[in-house]
Amino acid sequence: MNPKPRWLNILDTLTTIFFVVAVLLVFVYAPMERTMGAVQKVFYFHVATAWVGMLGFMVAAVVGVLYLIKGEQKYDIMGLAAIEISLVFFFVAIIMGSIWARPIWNTWWTWDPRLTTATIVELIYAAYLMLRQGIEDPDRRARFGAVYAVLGFLSVPLTFISIRMLRTIHPVVVGNSDPGAEGSFSMSGPMKTAFFFSLFTFSVLFVDLFWHRFRMGKLAAKVEELRLKISA
Amino acid sequence: MFLQQTTPNTFSYMIAGYAVLAVVLGVYLASFFARFRNLKRDLEVLEEIDQ
Repeated sequence: MNPKPRWLNILDTLTTIFFVVAVLLVFVYAPMERTMGAVQKVFYFHVATAWVGMLGFMVAAVVGVLYLIKGEQKYDIMGLAAIEISLVFFFVAIIMGSIWARPIWNTWWTWDPRLTTATIVELIYAAYLMLRQGIEDPDRRARFGAVYAVLGFLSVPLTFISIRMLRTIHPVVVGNSDPGAEGSFSMSGPMKTAFFFSLFTFSVLFVDLFWHRFRMGKLAAKVEELRLKISA
Repeated sequence: MFLQQTTPNTFSYMIAGYAVLAVVLGVYLASFFARFRNLKRDLEVLEEIDQ
């Protein structure tokens, strides 16, 4: 196992600093929204976690294509790393959204196009992890994972455009909301600062976690290789 | 009489939202470090057996 790279230590420190600043911006700098009250502050990290989810699923699709072209194991490890992290963040986004919805929509959950497509995305990628567990041959598992990540990604843009194309009560942050959307608000300057800095922070957090998870994936591959060698 | 709109008290929902974030990320990071540690241990044992 290679020692932890110096750059990863620097990235860990930067991520921690950015995270503290993002929390301060959200809770101290950004003003309280008048019609929703304190729960509006959930919005900053709700969108940021959803963004990280979609970002990771996109990374997994890209490295899936690279694996299918080059057949190098590192792309399989990257794909698994990206999906695992994104699954966690996307889950948090869904739960945070549900908590925000309770006082604003007066319900924890509704089968709105955005909520439905987001749930489908989460289930598709949860199935990815479960199905991977069932394949013992590493090459077959990697090939399956790459094809699945590419095909599974089709559900992500569908989720993104669902609130822009279909009738929905889910507000749109960038662009015009559906007239039936509930919980829309226009962002003031400090709100925009907190929002975009949160997006940036979570993107850096994703890169940091991805690097750590990639290192762990390489270690897991080494352990599996040794196990197969010993048992042969 | 004028209808006065007051800001609703939704503080508890905000706390709940961020608590979910903290707990889920905390559990994920804990599982992450545990898996990393176990893999390192496995590697040491397997390398010993292999020699």
